[in-house]
Amino acid sequence: MYCARRFFIRVLLGLLVGICQGAIWSARAADPSPESLVNCSIQEKPCTKELAGISVTLDILPKPVMAMRDLKFQVTLSGEKKTAIPYIDLGMPGMNMGPNRVELRRIKDNVFEGQGVIVRCASGGRTWKATVSLPEVGKVEFVFDVIY
Amino acid sequence: MSSTDTLYLAFLVTGFTVGFGHCIGMCGPIVISLSLNRKGRNLLIPHLLYNAGRIITYAILGGVAGMLGSFTILTSSILSLQKGVLIFAGALVLLMGLAMGGWIPFGRVFGDGDSSSSVFSKSLHRLSAARSPFFHLPLGLLLGLLPCGPVYTALIASARAGMAADSALQGFLFGTGLMLAFGIGTVPSLFLVGRLADFGWIKSRQRIYRITSVLMVVIGIYFIIQGIQY
Repeated sequence: MYCARRFFIRVLLGLLVGICQGAIWSARAADPSPESLVNCSIQEKPCTKELAGISVTLDILPKPVMAMRDLKFQVTLSGEKKTAIPYIDLGMPGMNMGPNRVELRRIKDNVFEGQGVIVRCASGGRTWKATVSLPEVGKVEFVFDVIY
Repeated sequence: MSSTDTLYLAFLVTGFTVGFGHCIGMCGPIVISLSLNRKGRNLLIPHLLYNAGRIITYAILGGVAGMLGSFTILTSSILSLQKGVLIFAGALVLLMGLAMGGWIPFGRVFGDGDSSSSVFSKSLHRLSAARSPFFHLPLGLLLGLLPCGPVYTALIASARAGMAADSALQGFLFGTGLMLAFGIGTVPSLFLVGRLADFGWIKSRQRIYRITSVLMVVIGIYFIIQGIQY
């Protein structure tokens, strides 16, 4: 009876380990690492992406772009299409860090600026995502590394 | 509903949602350690006290951020403290893991027959007070300072609410309320983890304690390394 119970517990633990490993492998296959999602070298230069015929350029100052510092976010739009004032949502890829929105204001015809802070994650993850939303047009994501 | 009320509600919901993701990862090991350390004794009051302590610290930080109207001034002034708290939390989880696994003689180290008066022994002796439920309030107050992304995000909102306030007092109240709402939102997830970690329903608890103690040692070391690098 004792042996049967021990066998049962071992099988159960083996199954649990197997399920966990399977879950980790499938999660890795479905969800690439945050570092591999990086599409913007914000530490070196502004980044540009196209959205519905509009060229959206994001710059963050001062450089180097560091977490836990007051930063200036600048969005420049180019193209014929006019949009309402854009805004930026900051977050980490694959991790809910709570709502962190940078409200922008127009400083020139197609140039918008706002203040914000990229927070630091104690896990050590450095890859952050800035989602620039153009009302009634759509969203574009810039994924970049910050310095801690 | 005013815009401030909407903001409170938004951060209550934010606390709830990040609780079941980020908080379980960061504070889960600590909560599990506290549960296992009480081995079968009442968990309700200790966990309520731990969470109350955590929320009080959040509220004070929120109040200060709201009063200052600045997130970075607040965080730069508590950075060293947060680093220390992260290392302390790691050491706490590590010690509890080692003690629970039987790898350190808990009784002897914590004073049963150990007459050493070194600072280390005294500190460890104080840690044994974790068996008293009232240890959990100051522990929650301290661990509320743990560096945490979603807490920082909520503090940014507190600072912004403070900037928009008419006076420093109003900023303090906005910030306090916002962080209170956020903190309360995080309680269900951590409370649930604490209760589930009781393992009272499993007959062969020793095996589970041994496995968990290994995990706690690993997580404790990880916390300490992160704290040193922070």
